Amino acid sequence: MTGPLPAATARGKSLLSALEQSGIAASCDPADLWAASRDCWPRALLWTKAGLSPHPPEVVAWPRDPEQVAAVIRLAVERQTCVVPMGSGSGVCGGSIPVRGGIALDLKKLAAPLRIDLPSRTVEVAAGMIGARLEELLQEKGATLGHFPSSIRSATVGGWLATRSAAQLSTRYGKIEDLVIALEAVDGTGQVLRTLDGPSAGPDLTQLLVGSEGTLAVITSARLRIWPRPSRQWLRGVRFPSLQHGFRALRAVMRSGLRPSFARLNDPLDTLLAGKSAPAVPQPLKWVAFGAQAEALRLALRAPSILNRLVDALPRSSLLVFGFEGDLEDDLAEEGDAALALCEAEEGENLGSAPAERFLETRYQPQFQQAKLFAAGAFADTLEVATTWDRLDALLLAVRHAVAGLALVRAHFSHVYLEGCAVEFSLVGLAGQSFEDAASGSRDDAELDLEEGEARYDACWKAALSAAADAGATLSHHHGVGLARQILMPREHGEGMRQLRALKQAFDPHGVLNPGKLLL
Amino acid sequence: MIDRLRQDLGASGAAIVEEPQGGYRVTPPSIASLGRAVAVVRAWKLPLRVRGSGDAPGNARGVLLDVGSLDRIASVDGGTGIVRVEAGCNVAALEAAARRAGATLGPLLPSVRAGSVGAWLAGPTRGERGVPGARRETAALSVTAVLADGRLAESRAAPRSATGPDLDHLALGGGGRLCVVAAAWIRLFPVSPALAASWTFRSLPTAVAALEKLCLERSAPARARIVGSGDGARLAMAWEGLETAPMERDRSARILSALGALAESDRGANYWLREPSSGDAVEVDARWASLRGWSQQGELQFFGMHAGGAFATLALPDARGAEEAAALARAAGARVIAPRRMRDAGPGWEAMGAGAVWRRLVEALGVEEAP
Repeated sequence: MTGPLPAATARGKSLLSALEQSGIAASCDPADLWAASRDCWPRALLWTKAGLSPHPPEVVAWPRDPEQVAAVIRLAVERQTCVVPMGSGSGVCGGSIPVRGGIALDLKKLAAPLRIDLPSRTVEVAAGMIGARLEELLQEKGATLGHFPSSIRSATVGGWLATRSAAQLSTRYGKIEDLVIALEAVDGTGQVLRTLDGPSAGPDLTQLLVGSEGTLAVITSARLRIWPRPSRQWLRGVRFPSLQHGFRALRAVMRSGLRPSFARLNDPLDTLLAGKSAPAVPQPLKWVAFGAQAEALRLALRAPSILNRLVDALPRSSLLVFGFEGDLEDDLAEEGDAALALCEAEEGENLGSAPAERFLETRYQPQFQQAKLFAAGAFADTLEVATTWDRLDALLLAVRHAVAGLALVRAHFSHVYLEGCAVEFSLVGLAGQSFEDAASGSRDDAELDLEEGEARYDACWKAALSAAADAGATLSHHHGVGLARQILMPREHGEGMRQLRALKQAFDPHGVLNPGKLLL
Repeated sequence: MIDRLRQDLGASGAAIVEEPQGGYRVTPPSIASLGRAVAVVRAWKLPLRVRGSGDAPGNARGVLLDVGSLDRIASVDGGTGIVRVEAGCNVAALEAAARRAGATLGPLLPSVRAGSVGAWLAGPTRGERGVPGARRETAALSVTAVLADGRLAESRAAPRSATGPDLDHLALGGGGRLCVVAAAWIRLFPVSPALAASWTFRSLPTAVAALEKLCLERSAPARARIVGSGDGARLAMAWEGLETAPMERDRSARILSALGALAESDRGANYWLREPSSGDAVEVDARWASLRGWSQQGELQFFGMHAGGAFATLALPDARGAEEAAALARAAGARVIAPRRMRDAGPGWEAMGAGAVWRRLVEALGVEEAP
C-alpha cells in the first residue's frame, strides 16, 4: 500500500552524479527514495494508509567512512541542500524523515572494524552496526552491552546514540548515554570530531552530541562500555494490591542499593492481560489490546471514555516482574530474596518466576500488535516520559484524565532510578477507515480519512504531552523528540531553547544537518 | 567608562567592591540580581570569573562574581532523594541538611566538600559521583543556569531524558564560561551505615590493580584508601547500601582472596578510611592505568570509582610535597584538578577537533570576552 513511489527530481539526479563522482554509493531509485522517506513513527502509518509518502529525500547516499560522510556534508553546503542522517529507520518519532528533502545519509554501510576489549570493558563500533549484530558478536566473546531495546533487531548503534535510547535492562546497565565513553562524529562543516576517552576539560562534548538527533553532527562511531555476560538470572513476579503499593516497593528496592537487571510494574489492565485472569477482562478491552475483531474494535474506540471507565472498574491489583543477573546462584538468591522481602513488606504476593519468564519471552511482541490496530482503522502510539517519585501519582492521573475521552490509556512503569522512573503510556484511539476500505476507496475519501485521522491522533497526542508537561515530567525518556514531540520543546526547555539554537549555530553554521528537527 | 560600568553593575542590585589588583568583585544577593549582573558583564564583554567555579580564567581583570550569598536550601525531600539548592551553598552545609532528612550526597573529594555547590557542578568533576554498578553519573538532576542576557535556563528535574542534547552539560564542568550555575536539583543517596574491611598486598600498584579489578567486576566500593610503602600496601574499602553493603563486601572479599590478598581484621577500618591524608595531597581525575603507575609508595583515597578510573587524592610519604605528587601524576597520565593553583588545563574541545565549534558557540551564546 505504498501508493505511487516518489520520482527522482532534477536536483536529485544532479546530487547523485556529484556523489558518484566522489566515489560515494548513492541512488535516486524510487524504491530507495520511498524507503528513506519514513521511519517507524506511528502517525506516519496514516500516510501509508492514504497511499502517500509526503517527505521523500532527493537522493540516498551510503557513505563507507567518516571522510565520505564529511564529503556529503560539504556537498550539501555547496549545493545549499540538507543532509538527514538515518540508521535503519526504526525511530518512532519521525526523527529521520527528510521534511525538507535533500540527501538521506544512510549510515548502515559505515564499515569500521569492531574492536572488542573485554579486559578494559570497551568496544569500538561503527554507528551503522545493527544492535542485535553487535550483541551477537559481543556474546561470542563472553561479553554484553546490556542494551536490549525493543528495536534491537533493527536499530543501529548510531540511532541509539542520536536519540538517547534506553533498554529493558537499563536499571542495571544504564541508558545509552551511560554506556558511551567516547565518540566520533562529523559536524555541519565536515569537520571530524573525536571526543576523548579519559579526563578532559570543559563541558562534556560527548554528552552534548548524544541525543542531538542528527542536528549537530553525524555520529560515525563510538566507544562503549561492555561487561562480562552474566550466565544466570533470578526472576520473579509479584502481585500488589494496587499500583501505589508497587511504587513504594520499587522505591524501597532502589533505596536499598539493589539494582535489578529489569523491573516492570504493570497497570491493572496489563496485569490482568499478563496473567491467567485474562478471561476476566471485558471483551472490548481485549479487542483493543490484541487488535482483534476490526469492526468491533472500531466501534469500541468510538467511546474511549467508556473503555477507560471499564479499566477503572477492573480489580486494582498490579503486577511487578523483575529479575537479577549474575554468575553465582547464591549471590542471585541473596539479592532476589532481599528484593522479595521489600515487596512483601508492601503486601506483595510472590507469584514465582513464571510471570517474569513470560514477560522476557514475549517482550518483543507488543510492537507487532500495532500493525493490526492500524490495519483495523485505529491509531496506536506510546508516550514514554520520566519523573521523580513524588510526582508519579499526579502524572498518571493527569495523563489519564486528559486523554480519557480520546483514546484508551494503558501504562507501565520501568527504567527505574533511585529518584524516580519512566512511565510508558500506550494510547489507542480511532483513526478512521481500515486499510482494506482505504485501499478500495477513492483518492478523495483517502485524503479526507487521512485529515480526520491526523486530527484525532494529534488531539490525543497533544493532550497527553501537555498533561505530562504540566505534571512536571520530561517529554521523552528514550524515544527522542523527532517530529512527534517538537511542538512542546519550548515547554520542555524554556530559555534553554536559546542554548539549543546556539549549539546549532556552533556545530552546523550552514544549517544543513537534519533541518526542521528539535525546532532548529 | 569605568563610572558607567559601576553604574550598570550597581543597577543589578549587587554589592560592588573594586579589587586592589584591578577589576571588580560583585556579590549579588539573589538569583535575579545574579542574572542582571551577568547580563552587564556580558554586555561589556569583560572576563567573568565565578568564585569557586573551577576553570574560569584566573586573570585579575574583569569581574569576579561572588555567589556566596546565594546559599539557600529551598527543599530537601529525603524520601524521593532530591534537594533544591542555590549555587553558593557550601557542600558541607548541604550534606548536613541532607543528613537531617536521612539522606547524603555520598563520598566526595575533599576539595568538593570544602567548596560550593556551584564549584562542584561547574568545576572539573562536573558534579560526578559513583553509583552502584561501577558507574559514574552527575549528581545534578537539573541545573538552573544564567545565560548571557541574564535570563535563566532550567532543565526538567527528571531522572533521565531524551529531549535533545543534555543542555545541563553546557554548565557542568564549564567553569562559568558558557553560563553560570545559579541553582540545581541535586540527587541524594539514603543514609546507610558503612561496612568496611581491609586487606594487605605486596605493593601499592598491586593494591590499585585489585581495586580496579573490583570495579571491572561491577563491585566498586563507595570509598577506598590505599597506603603503600616498600614493605607492602594496605587497602581499606567501605560499602554503603541498606541491603547491599554486606553482599558487596563478601563478593569483594571473594575476588580479592582469589587475587592473593590477605584479609585483615575489620576493626578500625572505617575510621582509618576516613582519616585525612597524612601528606600534602593533590586531587586527580585518572584512569586506572595512571593510578597504578603513579608511584610505588604513598597514599591514595578514591571517590567516584567506575570501570574506567576514579577521582583520587594522592600524597607522597616523607613530607615530599604536593608538587612532586602532581608531577608524578601527570607523568602517569592523570589530570590534576586540585589544589586550584596546580590544576591542569587538560585537553579541551580543541584537542577533539572542536576548536572552531567552541569559538562559534562562545559567539552564539553571547559570552565573548574582549582581549
